[in-house]
Amino acid sequence: MSLDPALLARLGTLQVRARAVVEGVLAGLHRSPHHGQSVEFAEHKEYAPGDEIKHIDWRAYAKSDRYTVKRFEMESNLRAVLVVDGSGSMGFGRGVMTKLDYAKICAGALAVLLARQGDQVALMIAGAPDPRGEKLPAGVRSFLPFGSSNAHVQELLRQLDETKSEGATLLAPALDFAAEKAGRRALFIVLSDFLDAAGDEKASLAALARIRSRRHDVLALQTMDREELEFPFDDPTRFLSMEADDGPVTGIDAQPRQIRDSYLEELARFLAKVKSELGRADVEQQLFPTDAPPDRALLTLLRRRERSS
Amino acid sequence: MGALSFANPAYLWGALAVALPLAIHLFSRRRPRPLPFGAIELVLRSQKQKRRNLRLRQLLLLALRCLLIAALALALARPSLVPRTESAQAASGPHATALVLDASLSMRYRMGGKTLFEKSRAEALAALERLTPEEPATAGLCAGPAGFGEGGLAAPSFDRAAVRRILTTAQPSEVASDMTACLDAAAHTLGESMVSGKRIFAFTDMSAHAFRLDAPPPLTPAPPSASGQAAPIRPEIVLVDAAEGAELPNVAILSVSAAAAPRLGPRGYEVAATIGNFSAHPLANVEVELRVDGHALAKGFVDLPAHETGKKLLGAVLPAGLAAGEVVLAHADGPGLDEDDARAFAIQVPRDLKALIIDGAPASLRERDEAWFVEAALNPARTAGRITAQTLDQDAAENHPLDGVDVVLLLNPQVPSKPLSERLRAFVQKGGGLFIALGDHTDPDALNESLASLLPRPLHLLKTARDPDASDGQGGLPPPARFASIDWQHPIFRVFGPTEREALESVHVNRYALLAADGKQSVRILASFDDGAPALIESQLGAGRVLLFTSSASASWNDWPLHPSFLPVVQQAVSHLAGALEERVSTASQVGDQRVISAARGSRIVQVLGPDNRPLALSRELSTNSAKEAANGFATSSKTAPGKVGSDSGAETQGQRDAFVVAVALPGVYRVQTAPMGASTNSAGEARDDPSLAFAAGLDAKESDLRRVDEAELKALLGGASSAQVASSSLSAQGNGGTALWPALLLLCVLALLGEGALTRR
Repeated sequence: MSLDPALLARLGTLQVRARAVVEGVLAGLHRSPHHGQSVEFAEHKEYAPGDEIKHIDWRAYAKSDRYTVKRFEMESNLRAVLVVDGSGSMGFGRGVMTKLDYAKICAGALAVLLARQGDQVALMIAGAPDPRGEKLPAGVRSFLPFGSSNAHVQELLRQLDETKSEGATLLAPALDFAAEKAGRRALFIVLSDFLDAAGDEKASLAALARIRSRRHDVLALQTMDREELEFPFDDPTRFLSMEADDGPVTGIDAQPRQIRDSYLEELARFLAKVKSELGRADVEQQLFPTDAPPDRALLTLLRRRERSS
Repeated sequence: MGALSFANPAYLWGALAVALPLAIHLFSRRRPRPLPFGAIELVLRSQKQKRRNLRLRQLLLLALRCLLIAALALALARPSLVPRTESAQAASGPHATALVLDASLSMRYRMGGKTLFEKSRAEALAALERLTPEEPATAGLCAGPAGFGEGGLAAPSFDRAAVRRILTTAQPSEVASDMTACLDAAAHTLGESMVSGKRIFAFTDMSAHAFRLDAPPPLTPAPPSASGQAAPIRPEIVLVDAAEGAELPNVAILSVSAAAAPRLGPRGYEVAATIGNFSAHPLANVEVELRVDGHALAKGFVDLPAHETGKKLLGAVLPAGLAAGEVVLAHADGPGLDEDDARAFAIQVPRDLKALIIDGAPASLRERDEAWFVEAALNPARTAGRITAQTLDQDAAENHPLDGVDVVLLLNPQVPSKPLSERLRAFVQKGGGLFIALGDHTDPDALNESLASLLPRPLHLLKTARDPDASDGQGGLPPPARFASIDWQHPIFRVFGPTEREALESVHVNRYALLAADGKQSVRILASFDDGAPALIESQLGAGRVLLFTSSASASWNDWPLHPSFLPVVQQAVSHLAGALEERVSTASQVGDQRVISAARGSRIVQVLGPDNRPLALSRELSTNSAKEAANGFATSSKTAPGKVGSDSGAETQGQRDAFVVAVALPGVYRVQTAPMGASTNSAGEARDDPSLAFAAGLDAKESDLRRVDEAELKALLGGASSAQVASSSLSAQGNGGTALWPALLLLCVLALLGEGALTRR
């Protein structure tokens, strides 16, 4: 059984949607959510808000009168950085959900899934920074450091939920920043359409290649809308750019029937280029049409990774 | 140049719909639907790639859509390209229309694989289809002197099927046509329609012989409802020229005549054919062939100057009996009238005859024998074997059978026995010939008693004009009798030309018999002596003839046997009595005529077979003596009600003969079958061909000359250019038709639609 994106879109908050997807994925994996969790003691760490209370070492407290928390080996198994493209083009989608909605569901589900395994998850929204928010480097709209607690996940999901698509694609600087923040080896899961209204998708792909060259594991989930893949328009249309009002192209008048063939050729060329560039950089890539059930898509992805690892 | 006319001009408003694609085009250019789109970069790239073609394609699309709408609107308006003169006519409203189809022989002229008639018939049908529903129509075939024939031309009606039936079943005739009379009749018939417009379409080859340019112009009487003395209307006349203005060259055999040619042998004949070259080019070595009963007997060549005739003599020895022949031009492929390339003739070639000479005064010394001179005249060496004579004395002849004998010559007879008289009578009744010559044995009273029914007139007494034994030295002897009045037109004497008649007129006759007066009607005196006494007298008895020479056939009573005229007269007399004179070249008839056929006395006509061997319908004639039937020399005719052959076998009365009128419809040889009068009407076995009645029919020679009529004169006759025109086809001439343009426009629509579809799908 898979989750219909239309049904998923009606499920309320992102948290609910993400968990629904996780349940679907787990049901597909047929594994215990705690399977593989190590209980081997690794080190003590002073308690900090957000740490699990159950992990407070009461014996150590009795001895030292300080709250210390046990850290186990499994907690340091995986560090994942979820990079969600928040550019304007991700807001396209005239169906049940936009590409960004889809990416958010997938990112949320992955965060819940990873946190359940005890992996640490960080979230970065790539895009023009919010002028009202904290000062962040160019291309980084928000960044949530690694964490695996429920509260972390809740915060992650909240940030995801608040993310809106706007502005130009700034994936390259955002990725570079994320690579810096990740520190030691981590898994980068990038959810983007890799479309750049400025025609500079090469920069994003190059940034991914750079991350990979730092020995990070990179997973590129390319989300595309069905209308982008098939271009089913008939009537004369003025196509408007979704990324920049003052960009090189703000609107193109076109007869879709007349340019459909060439559009599809360009699309195929673009997808092939993404695939080949990422493939050359040893980056695993998967195309996620937004009308595909996200649990199925994630399940397929995870199984493939499981086989390859 | 022509003008455009529209059957449904209201549809032209539809052309305004051209504004629709224009508006859509402009609107779609200014107000495209805005759509924020993620992959705008890909759209931009594809747009750049296509930009060069897009504008051209959009303009092309716009043009195609405008064309589609405009062409559709135009097609619905049914435009036609009409010559200016006809467009004015078309505006004058509906016309009562007469379609006159020239069905004369010349319309069989073959040009381009089709006859002019076939072409004209198709044109007439097309013209009929193009008439509007408001136009009544009629159609007729113009052939023969009677114009449209017995049925005439029906009044114009809206029964298109009936008119179409007339045209589709129409066939060309073998006769000439009088187009002037037909146009006049058609104009009169159009007067029966209440529709004010009157129009005649005449489909013809424009041959000069079909029109009479001195006739008054055809006029349509004023409508019956018109008040007062309205003037007749001059109808519009369109002459649709089947030849399309082309000259129609033709070579034809115009006439054929046959005559005996003794130099070629006993049954030698010369057939003279007159051949006409109706073309602007001289012809050399035109091959002419003489065929008899399907066999080619002679062939020759003739040179023909342009627009001239030439004569060709073809000689041949013909078989005895009826020679049904024809002279044929070697067939040349290409345009021409095939029907007049042959012309038939019929000759009754004399058959071989058997004569029985009954010698009433045989003598051991041949030159004193009564039959010696007659035998010499009928010697096969002198008749080229045509006549075989056998001589018997009277006793031997008493029991000699007469079967197979054609003529009996009774010379200086002693009184014949009654059985012999009876047998001779029966022989003559059945068609045999009897020649009687007198002599020293003649006892008028006894002979009258014995041969009462055979003698044309009873003998009265013997007259001696001059005693042959008297000595001439005494002087003052009465002069011998001479032939004074001779019927030179009789077949027996026809061989004597004016310079040769002396040979007959110089004969001296010393003794001859005077005949008693008799009321017999069927007696013909062929020659008389200078005292008026008959010398040669002929009578008809049953189917046979009796010829009485009132003097002797030897030199005992006259010196005729010593004259050169004796031999031809005896030979001709024998042939005549046997009904086998070679002058029996029947006069030819012309197709389209009627011919009177009279049977010989004692026989009746069973049927007349045409060239196609089918029996002809006959109309009975009652005939009496007539010079017209010169071959027999007895009949005048008066027409009576038609009757079926054989159903009235008792029609023959005294002085009347079985005669019929037949309509000659086909060229070729016609054969007549007769039977003895009294034979059963149903006994077909007794019916046999009578070669003497056979005749040939030829086509009207003027139909072979297809020279065109002077168009200017013809138009002037028909009312000038305002009401008459000559057109090469009904389509170009038809006022309300013109060249239909809507099929081309519809095709344009389809092409525009296909083009639009192809462009929008790409």
